Formats: sequence, C-alpha cells, structure tokens
Amino acid sequence: MRIGKLLMGDVHFQFKYGFYFIYFLFTILYIGLLFAFPESWRQKAAILMIFSDPAAMGLYFMGAIVLFEKSERVLDSIAVSPVKPLEYVLSKLCSIGIISTVVSLAIGIPAGIVTNPITFILGVFLCSCMFSAVGLIIACKTTTLNQFVLATIPAEILINIPAIIWLFWYKESWLLIHPGVSMIVLCAQSGGAFPALIFLFLWTALFVFIACGAVNKMLKSVGGVKL
Amino acid sequence: MRPIFRCFVMFLRQISKDGMLYASLAAPLLAGFAFRFGIPAAEAALCGYFGKAAILSEYYLLFDLFLAVMTPYIVCFVSSLVMLTEYDENMTSYMAVTPVGKRGYIVSRLVFPAVISIFASVIIMIIFSLTVWSAPILLITCALSSLLSIAVSLLLVSFSHNRVEGMALGKLTGIILMGLPVPFFLFSGVQYLFSILPSFWIAKLSVEDNYLYAIPALLTSFLWMWVLYGRFVKKLS
Repeated sequence: MRIGKLLMGDVHFQFKYGFYFIYFLFTILYIGLLFAFPESWRQKAAILMIFSDPAAMGLYFMGAIVLFEKSERVLDSIAVSPVKPLEYVLSKLCSIGIISTVVSLAIGIPAGIVTNPITFILGVFLCSCMFSAVGLIIACKTTTLNQFVLATIPAEILINIPAIIWLFWYKESWLLIHPGVSMIVLCAQSGGAFPALIFLFLWTALFVFIACGAVNKMLKSVGGVKL
Repeated sequence: MRPIFRCFVMFLRQISKDGMLYASLAAPLLAGFAFRFGIPAAEAALCGYFGKAAILSEYYLLFDLFLAVMTPYIVCFVSSLVMLTEYDENMTSYMAVTPVGKRGYIVSRLVFPAVISIFASVIIMIIFSLTVWSAPILLITCALSSLLSIAVSLLLVSFSHNRVEGMALGKLTGIILMGLPVPFFLFSGVQYLFSILPSFWIAKLSVEDNYLYAIPALLTSFLWMWVLYGRFVKKLS
C-alpha cells in the first residue's frame, strides 16, 4: 500500500530529524508547568498549551519539511512516481497528526481534561490535520523559510485569536463555526461537541482539498519545467 | 571590513525581498503594544474572574524582560533562518573561502544585526515597558539580551544539519530563555541550578538592581558563544 509506505517514510523522517525527541522534552516541560499552576488554572492552561503547540505543530514545521524536500529533490522523485497528491498530503497530515495526538494525550491526561477520549482524540487529530494542511498550502507557494514564517502569521492570527477569545471571555454558540473554537470545545468536553466535530471536519476537508490542489500544482512545476 | 559590510548588505537585501525585514521591525512594535495595553487589560479581566487583587502585576518586570529580549531574539532568529537556508544551499562554505571568511560571515549575519537590535530594543522598552527602568540597567539589559540572542542563533546553526533540524531546534532554543522567570518563582538556592543560562543572570540583574550580575551574564554568554562558534567552525570544515 503506497500511502502506508509514504506514512512510514514521513514518520521515519520526523523521527530522524528529532521531532519525537523534541516533543518528548516539551511534554515533560508542559506537564511540569501545568503542575506549577494553581489547580483552578490547570484545565484552561492545558487546553491552551495543546491548542497552541502540539495541535499547531504542522503549521510551524511544514515549511521546513517541504522546502527541505524541494532542495533535496525528493519532490522531483515523487512527481515522476505514481504517488497522487492526495496520498502525499494525507501522509504528511497523518504523520504529524500522530505526534500531535500522542503529545496532547500525554498533556491532557495528567491535567484531567480527557473525560471522553474519543472526542478529545478526534478534536486534536482533525485540528492538527487542518493546521498542517494550511502549512502545506503556504509551503507550496514559498521558496524560503523566512517567507514561510511570515506567511503563516495571518493564518495563526485568524485561527488562534477567536479560539482564545472563546476560551476566556466570549462563549457564544455561533462561534462553533470557527475551527479553533470547535477544537477547544472537543478538548474541553463542553456542550456542543457534535456540531463542533462536524464544523472541524468540514474545515479540515476544505483545507485538505485546497492543499491537494497546491501540491498538484507544485509537483507539476518542480525542476523548473511545467508538466 | 568592507567585504563584511557588503555581506551584511546582501543579507539585508535578502530579508527585505522576503518581506521579513519589515516584519522583524514590526513584530517588536506589535508585541510592545500587546504587552503595554494587553497585559494590564488581561490583569483586570483575570482579577475580576478569579476575584483577586493582583495576579499579573507582580510579574510586570518579567514581561518587560521578555520584551527586552524579544527584539534581538527575533532579529537573530531571522538571521538563523537565512544562515540555515544558505547552509542547505552550500552558500556558507563558499562564503568561508571568500575574503569574508568564517568569522566575517558570523559578524555579518549575527553580530551586526544584534548590535542594531540593541538600539531597537532600548527604544521599544522606553515606549512600551510596564515598569520603571533606570537608564544604565536598561542599556545593560538590552546589550546582554543581544549577546544572549547571538548565543541562541549559534546554537541553532551549529547543531542543525539542515533547515528541518534547524526549525526543530528553534523550538528548543526557547528553553535558554527559561532563566528569565527563575528569580521570580524560585527563591531558594535551587535557582542557581539555572546559573549556566545567561537569561537567569539578566533577570537577576533587573530584579535585584545589582550591576554585579552583569559579570556572570557576560561570562556565561561568552562561554556559550565560544563553545558554539567552535562547533560552527568545525561544522564548516
């Protein structure tokens, strides 16, 4: 199965370049920090930590991964192989989604926020896939890391700010339509989990669809020649 | 010196083409606005929510310290990303054999931006700081922050073999800034476990208003830079 092999390749790549090691250290750090906070802060702090780091790691790393693959001519090989853009995208998203979900569970369980593991895992995994898909769309269109970092800032603001506002102040149900808010609702196990799951799934599917288009376009133009 | 200046101009041209030059100028300003107006607003909201008289206000100096470090940190992080890209594209080795040399390359990519960032950091602090700073402490803190940022950048570029490792390590380098909150939360001798971090001594200097702490801050920064520069040179050869 091609997608299985692609996924294994991506997991191996991420392991080799220290993603697992770094997130192991960060998990210990985050758990230590959580227990340094007063108990009344712990739940919100854990949700904020999960939402801003493990769930969003794809948006941070995707630029480096894709640009590295471009410079190492990995994409040239993929372009002439039978791999479809959807398979490439799903492999990237799922491999990062695995780390995000494991790290989020490791932070969420000691913080006592994982009362329903299924909605929690679905929320983190879908949110991670959405962030990674956004990162992939941006990475396909950039040529330097600085360009990528700069281009991710508006996406981060648009996804993070409404979610943080919802978490601390403005808990109106219409905000469930926002993907960040949906993820927080699913992680916090508060009311409205089903519509939140639907909205988050739809947002993720939309960004995966756009990412497939961007990857398709990128694979057709690697090596300087438009196929 | 002329080749190094040219190399620096090349670097400026590169980041202005990306738009990163303007972003790295705007980011500390935006952060300054957020700290100056957002934190007192968050303090009011948190105090209302938890029914306490003060939550964040005791740590306004800590926020100021993060603001002082932020400008050189952002500038040096941008430089690190450029250096990682240049390393991936084998440009660094070419630079090293030109009149610029390895040391000149580091000066043009890290030292010049860090020196400029000292002045930017001082201005940002004068406008946006939440607490009152004396001029000498402010100047010393900003200068030491830029040395710390050079060490962080050297850590990033000397240990990573490509941009993926660089970005991964970039996340971890934030840990070097962990020394900043230590004097605010650890009061026993345990705090000296963090004495290898220059950020710890920078925080001690500001918290205790004692100029003597500039010496260990300077020594630890130079120790980090010396070790990491050696590693960077080894990596290039």
